[in-house]
Amino acid sequence: MKSRLATPMRVTALVLVVLVCLLPFWWMFVVSLRKRVDIFSGPSLWPSHATFANYTALFSEYHMGAFLTNSTIVVGASVLVSLLIGTPAAYALARFKLAGRLNSFGLVGALLVRMVPPILLVVPFYIVLAHLGLLDSRLGLTVIYTGINTSFVIWMMQSFLAEIPSEIEEAALVDGDSRWTAMRRIMLPLAGPGLAATSIFAVITTYNDFLIALTMTSTPQAQTVPVGISTLIGKIQVQWGPMAAAGIIGAVPILIFAMAVQRHFVRGMTMGAVK
Amino acid sequence: MATKTAVAPTGHRARRWDRDRLLPYLLLIPAGLALALVSAYPIYEGVRASLTQYLYGRAHGSAGLKNYTDVMHDSTFWTAMGVTTKFVFICVVVETLLGLGLALLVVKEVKGIKFIRMSILAPMTVAPVVVGVIWRLIFSSETGFVDPVFTALGLGAPRMLTHEATAFWGLVMVDVWEWTPLLFLICLAGLQGLPQEPLEAATVDGAGPIRVFFNHTLPLLIPVLAVGIILRLIDAIGTFDQIFVLTRGGPGTATQLISIYAYNTAFNFTDYGHGAAMLIALLVFVFLLVLVAVSLMRRAARKSA
Repeated sequence: MKSRLATPMRVTALVLVVLVCLLPFWWMFVVSLRKRVDIFSGPSLWPSHATFANYTALFSEYHMGAFLTNSTIVVGASVLVSLLIGTPAAYALARFKLAGRLNSFGLVGALLVRMVPPILLVVPFYIVLAHLGLLDSRLGLTVIYTGINTSFVIWMMQSFLAEIPSEIEEAALVDGDSRWTAMRRIMLPLAGPGLAATSIFAVITTYNDFLIALTMTSTPQAQTVPVGISTLIGKIQVQWGPMAAAGIIGAVPILIFAMAVQRHFVRGMTMGAVK
Repeated sequence: MATKTAVAPTGHRARRWDRDRLLPYLLLIPAGLALALVSAYPIYEGVRASLTQYLYGRAHGSAGLKNYTDVMHDSTFWTAMGVTTKFVFICVVVETLLGLGLALLVVKEVKGIKFIRMSILAPMTVAPVVVGVIWRLIFSSETGFVDPVFTALGLGAPRMLTHEATAFWGLVMVDVWEWTPLLFLICLAGLQGLPQEPLEAATVDGAGPIRVFFNHTLPLLIPVLAVGIILRLIDAIGTFDQIFVLTRGGPGTATQLISIYAYNTAFNFTDYGHGAAMLIALLVFVFLLVLVAVSLMRRAARKSA
């Protein structure tokens, strides 16, 4: 009796949850396809007279092309560099017993950098970039993102690498490989999936960052997509249609990336603490 | 085997041994420098700024501890701290309870979990700015459905974000929408990782589902749940993007979280000293929370490994 009642209840709850999660996205999509006059004629769940005018306006009038270029460059460069310097560090922490409890300190230090909310550091970041003459530049943003991503890469990769049995690697060492060759020949291929998940997570969080980009940039020569979206919200007037279209452009690449890592999602969001 | 290891290392081997011993430290150096560049160095600069007097964005000599005493006597700062505390507390409690409840509801339902997981990932993976845009569209009287629905029901348009009494609750709603999925997924992962035997044994012994939950499931779930809660807590303290897009702290100071106030102080009023002092004070507090989080996480990670 209990279980027969429980299943419909569960299904209803799940359908509701999915609807609540997805309907707001649908709403934004519908607004993004409507013309200004149609938007003001009242709400609708279906776009009557659907048009891509808002999207073309974004590129021709609101610098969306520049924002996308900036985001791509800054995200790509910072994730690549942080993988290159973070993965070896993670390997060192996962595989060696280091002097002076460096294993613990290294990990904790990395986590601290990652977990402190960026608002607490934007003023100092701003001062540092001003010193270096890197305000309103893609290079300046890349430098900051690289540092923050490195901390994430160290934690995630340390947790993935620690799962690879060290016997495999020791076998390679016995076969005469150096540590370096063993790392390249044995560990890297085995760590491939972890590496992929880590980089996708880093791409998502970096692309989504708003606060750091907002404070460190001021013109379309360095502003990223989230900052670009916020420029459509004027003090007096909001460009509803273009803003919705920009929201869709901001969301779609991230949703695609997220699907690729959904199996690792909890792990990424909890930095390896929950698998 | 024994004779092999007893042989004294040849010159070639000894060199390799040395190189191998140095290798991990060499591997750590670039990452260490990158981390220092975004932590130690900015914090040093931040502390220095907090001890400096700024006028119209320019440094005007040392201020001693004046910026800090100013913050302590700044009533807007304390209002913002109050709003932040209320916001963080309500959001985290609601999200935890909802997330846990939903996870308990579906833990046995394996079918369709992939699709469900995919849909509920959406709110928390897209940029918080996009979340802000979505809800700005929904709450707006021009593009949204909240006001028309209420009007149709004869309740009058609430225009939630424009009234001091309701704007705060609008933001809570948005945060709950965005982050309940995370706690749901964490709880689900925790529940699915629980050993089944003690739970089944308790049921066989005649314990009801509620007894089983409080006596057996919950205690086992605590380590994972604690990680989720404290991560969310730290993150919620820094909430900025959505609020910047939705209300910018208004109307009045109804939704002015400490993040918004600090941002305005530093970047709109270009009083970097006052802003830095505020943020350094908050940093010390969050730092303690993070240390708690780290120890909880390392314990949970060791357990699930």
